[in-house]
Amino acid sequence: MLVLGIETSCDETAAALVADGKDILSNIVATQFDLLKKYGGVVPEIAARRHTELIGYTVEEALDKAGKTLDDVEAVAVSSMQGLIGCLMVGVAAAKSISYARGLPLIGVHHVEGHIFANRLSNPDLPFPHVCLTVSGGHTLLLYVKEESSYELLGTTLDDAAGEAFDKTAKFLGILYADRNTGGGRAIDELSRKGDRLAFNFPRPMLRNKTYDFSFSGLKTSVINMFKDRIAAGKKLPLADIAASFQEAVVDVLVVKTLRAADEYGVKAVSVTGGVSANSRLRSAFEDACAAKGVAVYFPSLSLCTDNAAMIAAAGHARLMRGEVSGLRLNVVPNSPLEGLDERDIN
Amino acid sequence: MIVLGIDTSGYTNAVGIVDGDKVLADFAYEAKMDSLQRIVADIDATLKDAGLALSDVEGIGVGLGPGSWTGIRVGVTVGKMLAFASGKPVCGVPTLEVLAFTARDGSRPICSIIKVGAGDAVYAACYHPEGDFLDRIGDYYVGDVKGLTGMLTGSTVLAGKDVKEYARVIRKESGTNVKAVEAAPGGAVVACLAAQRFARGEKDDVLSLTPLYLKESTAKAFVNKYKRGHA
Repeated sequence: MLVLGIETSCDETAAALVADGKDILSNIVATQFDLLKKYGGVVPEIAARRHTELIGYTVEEALDKAGKTLDDVEAVAVSSMQGLIGCLMVGVAAAKSISYARGLPLIGVHHVEGHIFANRLSNPDLPFPHVCLTVSGGHTLLLYVKEESSYELLGTTLDDAAGEAFDKTAKFLGILYADRNTGGGRAIDELSRKGDRLAFNFPRPMLRNKTYDFSFSGLKTSVINMFKDRIAAGKKLPLADIAASFQEAVVDVLVVKTLRAADEYGVKAVSVTGGVSANSRLRSAFEDACAAKGVAVYFPSLSLCTDNAAMIAAAGHARLMRGEVSGLRLNVVPNSPLEGLDERDIN
Repeated sequence: MIVLGIDTSGYTNAVGIVDGDKVLADFAYEAKMDSLQRIVADIDATLKDAGLALSDVEGIGVGLGPGSWTGIRVGVTVGKMLAFASGKPVCGVPTLEVLAFTARDGSRPICSIIKVGAGDAVYAACYHPEGDFLDRIGDYYVGDVKGLTGMLTGSTVLAGKDVKEYARVIRKESGTNVKAVEAAPGGAVVACLAAQRFARGEKDDVLSLTPLYLKESTAKAFVNKYKRGHA
């Protein structure tokens, strides 16, 4: 069963061909990096305009790279829930049109469910139940995943997503390189490898808080304040150490709370997914902590961490196998809780 | 040639079908932020009502705007991806031209107007009928209605929504008496204008078809907010 996946929920226009929910034949992502750099973030109207420009080319390239044509495609899956409304609309409009013109089933997919499936694509042996931490520029969610497509939300961020904290801190530190296609997260990851992560002791927000919620905007403020204090005192600003220490604070909170959840829910497996799951320090910290507790940890391959359409195709395939199909009146839902997804009509 | 025409750029969303000179269907409804949800289902229903399937359609016409940026994106994406997926040719037609064609009156020049969202500015363009066709005179205009007066004469037809009010402003500003004709973009007219282009051997590149926004997004407000400590 060959599924064409389409993803336009934020600033990446993506299309992919996935066979049987597991074999990635192509995974094309057109990232709007030049616009991110210019405006320091995602401007929804500009992103939506770019999606309209890029969507046809992206779908065509996904087909070409897979060596397939639309004649071979058997279903179309598209991110329709969770994301920027104007951006989601372009993907859904395109997917609906292809589905209608070819008489193919159409499946609307929740963007975050896509991230959860990204890990299943990379690790088909990821067991149920497990605890899943989805961390990206737009989301920080801790979930109890009882079985396929059954999610209980344990905690979320009360302000910035973890990835957002990385981006904003990288921008503040001035380490976003104009000439390279590197986001804030990767810039901090790379710089931190040259730094001492114990040099500064930034606060670990909500670490001891009883809930599984997160908060990162205060941490970012601490970095800024420390920076200003050091300038005022004429002290040096070792950027690598600052970056590494900031990163350590974020990683600490994510690892500790995820493992606490795994313990409370008695699961032996942890899934870490989303753009921030590409972070090398996060991966090694999770590996160490999970090994110490006898818990298995799973990460998607690097190309499946950030937004992509292969994960959407995989999630769509799973829903299709359960007979959950959207109609031609599929609409976008920009703010859609993941919980109760299996009970809601995805039309 | 059977041509399907759609326009979701403004107050009305429209689907129409023509076959040469004959109008087979012309369906329009007041848009209520539901164009994405409805448009493909409406295309299907309109085709079925005319006893046709998408496979019978030989070309697709798409209203390019200007108008609601979100609305235009829905129509243009649907038009081009329908064309891509079905292997049919596609032609974009500026919505201002659709309005002008709807309101044409003999050989009188036409100025079509579309309001820019909130505020007083308008998008406008002037056209001159040449037989069955329309030639655009000059560039597209974005600005206050009063700025149009230099382009209008006593024989101009003003076409669009609520144009009687604009005619009043123009008369007050310059004394020029233009004829106001209410017009909305219709699907059959989009199809007809696309059919004219197809007949001339013209068509657009499917993948590169993009909306006619005529206005940049205001990113400055966003950048300022970002700089002011929301970072």
